Amino acid sequence: MKHLRWLVIIPYFGLATLPLCWLFFTSLKTQEAAISPTASLIPSTAENIAPGDLTFSATLDAYRKLATPHTGKAHAFFHYLFNSVIIGLLSTLTSVVLGTGCAYGFSRFRIAGARDWLFFILSTRFLPPLAVVVPVLMMYRIFDLPNTHLGLIFLYTAFNLSLAVWLMKGFIDEIPRAYEEAALVDGYSPFQAFYKIILPHSATGMAVTAVFCLISAWNEYGFALALNNAEAVTVPVYFAGLQGNIQGIPWPQIAAGVLIFVVPIAVFTVLVRNHLLRGVTFGTIKQ
Amino acid sequence: MRVKDGVLKYGFVGPALIFLIAFNIFPLFYNIYLSFTDAELSGGATQLIGGRNYGIIFDDTRYGTALRTTGLFVVLAVATELILGFALALALQKPFWGKPAITTILLVPMMLSPAVMGLYWNFILNGHYGVVNQALSVFGLFQPQWLTDPDLKLFSILMIDIWMWTPFMMLIALAGLNAIPNHLYEAAAIDRASSWTVFRRITLPLCSPLLFLAVLLRTTDALKQFDLVMAVTGPNDRATQTLSALLYQVMFRGYKIGLGSSYSIVILLIVIAIATIFIRYIASIQAKQGRETA
Repeated sequence: MKHLRWLVIIPYFGLATLPLCWLFFTSLKTQEAAISPTASLIPSTAENIAPGDLTFSATLDAYRKLATPHTGKAHAFFHYLFNSVIIGLLSTLTSVVLGTGCAYGFSRFRIAGARDWLFFILSTRFLPPLAVVVPVLMMYRIFDLPNTHLGLIFLYTAFNLSLAVWLMKGFIDEIPRAYEEAALVDGYSPFQAFYKIILPHSATGMAVTAVFCLISAWNEYGFALALNNAEAVTVPVYFAGLQGNIQGIPWPQIAAGVLIFVVPIAVFTVLVRNHLLRGVTFGTIKQ
Repeated sequence: MRVKDGVLKYGFVGPALIFLIAFNIFPLFYNIYLSFTDAELSGGATQLIGGRNYGIIFDDTRYGTALRTTGLFVVLAVATELILGFALALALQKPFWGKPAITTILLVPMMLSPAVMGLYWNFILNGHYGVVNQALSVFGLFQPQWLTDPDLKLFSILMIDIWMWTPFMMLIALAGLNAIPNHLYEAAAIDRASSWTVFRRITLPLCSPLLFLAVLLRTTDALKQFDLVMAVTGPNDRATQTLSALLYQVMFRGYKIGLGSSYSIVILLIVIAIATIFIRYIASIQAKQGRETA
């Protein structure tokens, strides 16, 4: 029985991590080596390697080429990465700020129909992006927002709010009310009590919420595709647009770019590993 | 705490609600209105045309095919992910050396971007230079054309989805397993219950509420499948056209947003039905928690 688990874990672990390891190897190859019909597995520093050999000469060329625009594209990879960073960070900031305020309101005040409002907030998470994107696009046209960073920042803020409110409510509910009551007795105003007592105590919750908002904004594709064709193009849309390239898809560059794009997410996943369950269940299940 | 400052509480709650109404409720209703018009993406005069768009749905064979494709995809993806994820959770249940690290690494795929990873999987599954087919050739096995064979394309997308989302099921199943009180297992051991009986009578029933939650969440997500389809075949491939892909094709390639909106209403109804079950379920869990802590 005891060793039975390895029969499940080892094959799955191998198969699941292989694509990620292969990503790293591919990013070190030349285009010829990457699309060679005989795969090479071992990076080496040797310059000339006979075709069909299991080793390949490792190079950082793919990473260097990310700085120059690819054929048919207006900008280099880092331009799109910058778009992703700006849109991700600002939308995360606004969703955490609005979400924390909203969660605090629902956690501590009597609000008519609070339960219904909370479930309404949760239900917005389930809307398929393509069912709301056209009205949003038409609304944006009035305000000149398509193709802007601001447009996507607003949209991602709205999209992440449900998650932020529910996660933050879970965290704020756990802070004893006695803390604020003591502060109010000491002459704090209600807003000061929020600012000086609740905010510091919910710092962990805000950090966890921020990570989840950032990841979903970072990975989003449907909205970004529908609302942008020139400016404010994020990395997922940029990569998807490289398909069907006349010169063939530059796999080593894509692998290098994907790796740069994905490593921060992997790091964040490790950082919030103890809160992952809360994050994916909207804070309803706590470990 | 009861604060009499009525303005303050709406100051806390209001901005978020206004945002949600502007970006979710308004578009939703506008979408319903659009579904009764002949609106085009390019703008221009828009006329109300009654239910004509809804009539077209039944003549459009793409719609029925997309419904079937989506249904097949959802059932196969969610079922496989549930079984694999639960098996992994069982294997990871007891503490052992390296468990935290292994668990965390296994969870990484579900945090990655489906659009970006979908593109990269094109490279892994490529028929000529893909590493999967090269590995198969080492063992002398045949070379499936994962991305071009119409019978295999949907299966390839399924495989990527399973790679990404099995960890999700595993995560939730692990939480369910960890919540089972140890004394139940001890009592079963005293009664000399077989491990199959323990699994069927203790592990499975006590885990199932959380598994149900995971299935509901995954189902609403899988119903919207779009990113992977776009990455692997594009939106207009008969073999893989899910409802979202069809919507995209009609609205953004065919520029018929009135028609597209009417197509989207049906997806919306399905998603709302499942989301309602989910929300009712969450409410019942919360009510139970409330009783326990009260």
